[in-house]
Amino acid sequence: MFEFAIAGIQAPLFLLILTGFTVGIVGGFIGVGGGYMVTPALIVFGFPGYMASGIDMTHIAGKGVVSTIRHRQLGNIDWVLGMAMIGGTMLGVEQGVRLLTYTKTLGLSGIILLTASVVIMLVLFVYTQLETGQAHKKMAQMTKDGEKVGREMTVSRGPAFFQRIPLFPIVRCRQAKIVVSMWVIVVVGIVTGVLAGFLGVGGGFIRVPALIYIVGASTHIAVGTDLLEIAVSGGYGALRHSMMGNVDMIAVLFMIVGAMFGAQFGSIATSYVRGPAIRYILSYSLILACVGAFLRLAYMLTGQKYEILSFFAVVFTLGEMIFLCLFIVSLVYFSVRHTHGKPVPDWVPSLVVVK
Amino acid sequence: MRWFIHSMVGYWVLLLAISLGVAAAIYEIWLRGNI
Repeated sequence: MFEFAIAGIQAPLFLLILTGFTVGIVGGFIGVGGGYMVTPALIVFGFPGYMASGIDMTHIAGKGVVSTIRHRQLGNIDWVLGMAMIGGTMLGVEQGVRLLTYTKTLGLSGIILLTASVVIMLVLFVYTQLETGQAHKKMAQMTKDGEKVGREMTVSRGPAFFQRIPLFPIVRCRQAKIVVSMWVIVVVGIVTGVLAGFLGVGGGFIRVPALIYIVGASTHIAVGTDLLEIAVSGGYGALRHSMMGNVDMIAVLFMIVGAMFGAQFGSIATSYVRGPAIRYILSYSLILACVGAFLRLAYMLTGQKYEILSFFAVVFTLGEMIFLCLFIVSLVYFSVRHTHGKPVPDWVPSLVVVK
Repeated sequence: MRWFIHSMVGYWVLLLAISLGVAAAIYEIWLRGNI
């Protein structure tokens, strides 16, 4: 146990480093900050809620910078797309925070927040699973037939529709290889920003699917570009939390030690897999976070009487981080085995890249 | 056992079971008193 003087609590140090490491891997791989996993985990470790948010946001900013640098080296960032999204998101977050304040005046924010989280995550999970399942099946068939399979495959019709909207100015995103109206990107930024501000999260788990299924970016570009946005918005959030005294820098320091290594690994791991593999991990992350939020909601709605619900919510929050981490590590392992011509499970070859 | 490796759903179930087991152990050993 280590004593955190500013937070005024004692917490197990290695769990903080481990949390930073595991969420770093997941964040670097699927392009999210991981606030929906870290904040509940920090509360479980004993940090007060406001400080958990501050520590989380500050460590996300540091991790975002590390991941962004690595994804830039991998060619996964489209700066035009990123900058346009940042503008829209900032506007949206402000409106989302106002909406949250309004629900607080009604005295319902906790339950509304959890219900909204559960519904949004469930919808995104179902859509991502169905779409990725179809893309995976198509890629598996192509692999079986000996055809050349690229790094990306989507079967969604959304991008074709939104890229046809003829609103001036039309921008060319060279890295993402898309031509789309600037308004589509800005509106997507605003909508995802409102949701992020309202739910009190960074919003990566909403923005990454939006970039893929609406704007039409490839999964790798969506991940890298979203991490650029997370570095910017996380930096601003970290500054605001620090000014309000919500940050225990010692805790942040230990989390960042783990996150720096994790984020590097997670970012590099994207170069071992194809787009659908990243989307699978994203959808798994959504359903597990959804179950965790649902358990917390059930615990609140039953008047916090049933401790078993609290226990399962905690176990799901921690278990989710470990699960995603193990899945990503095993995909890299399978990719290396496949590259060296060693046997791998049947579902693997169409998901990994032969390097 | 083969199903847990050669089916994607099986692999998902296997990893989830391991992860939840580890998480439950962490909770019991280090966190129970904190909550």
